[in-house]
Amino acid sequence: MRSPLKNALVGATALLLVGAGNARAQVGTVSNIPTIALTATKEATLTVTPATSVASLASITDGSNANVFTPVSITTEWNLTAGSSVDLIGWFGTPAQALANGSDFIPSSRVEGRVNAAAYAPFTGAAVGGVGVAGGSLQLFSQAVAAGTFFGARTDQLELRLDLTGATTRAGDYTGTLNLQAVVQ
Amino acid sequence: MTAVKFGIKLLALSVFLTLGARGLLAQSQVISLAAAAPSALTVTLQSGAVQTIAGVTDNALNNFPTPVVIQTAWNVKPGQTNTVNLVAYFSIPAQAMTGGAVQIPSSRIQGRMTTGLPVAFTPITQNAIGGVGAAGGSLALFSVVIGGANKTASRTDNLDLRLDLVGFPTLPAGAYAGVLNIRAVTQ
Repeated sequence: MRSPLKNALVGATALLLVGAGNARAQVGTVSNIPTIALTATKEATLTVTPATSVASLASITDGSNANVFTPVSITTEWNLTAGSSVDLIGWFGTPAQALANGSDFIPSSRVEGRVNAAAYAPFTGAAVGGVGVAGGSLQLFSQAVAAGTFFGARTDQLELRLDLTGATTRAGDYTGTLNLQAVVQ
Repeated sequence: MTAVKFGIKLLALSVFLTLGARGLLAQSQVISLAAAAPSALTVTLQSGAVQTIAGVTDNALNNFPTPVVIQTAWNVKPGQTNTVNLVAYFSIPAQAMTGGAVQIPSSRIQGRMTTGLPVAFTPITQNAIGGVGAAGGSLALFSVVIGGANKTASRTDNLDLRLDLVGFPTLPAGAYAGVLNIRAVTQ
């Protein structure tokens, strides 16, 4: 026969067993898992960066097309989500007055450009994709782009010259501004 | 503990007591009853569950515009729970945010909880805590020591998030999306 003390010990042991099960269940309790939706959008970009903003010609030679300005390196960068081509256009705001020396003007038809040693062409074209001025523009390149090439860049050497064949200029400094702008089509 | 397990243990207790009492005269017996309420631990996002950066800037810190307001509530036993911990984590740290084939790792996403552990912006690159989180893709947000005074309590904290693109390759244009998980665990 068991003593009351022994009975109590047995009962207490049983209670401890019950409690021990509870303690194990408390550790490592985890909560629900709410989530935070993150979204970040990178906008499309298109930039044109000339290495220099000045091209100069020290001395004009009349009656000749051997009037070549110092070349300009141009870097065009694009980061797109759509489009089929990146086009670079050079244009003069007022084609009839591409360069001016007081009231003497050299029209854009006498200014020629080329990139990467292609053939020279005058700035007499139409706007491209809404960029440029009618009769005063020249498309310098058209770079095809697609899903695999929506992110890219290229650097081109722009050469400019005055074609004064059959023309004479007055002495003095002629200055003008050639605009460069890229467009995605 | 399930009701079945508890019932079995209670039955065992009764058997022990009954066997010990055989052959004795009527003697008062005390049967102690024990019932355990399960711990409760919940996390609620009160606001900021959707975070958007409209225009990401390369090579810069990009803050998500508003904090995530997180309420954590618990009802635990102080003798059996040392701490309540809140963890933020990405399931796949190398692909915390993705846009097409481009991936932004969790090391580029930083969190800050000025009322918690990362009081300054810290990349989400820590290991799991108490089995919650992903190795290299977690961030411990707070750890509260449990005692009698706070065995049943709640707290509300602000989690600030940002995208660290300093020195990161230029991102292709497009949308990048990801999911940050929040979970609490007792230890």
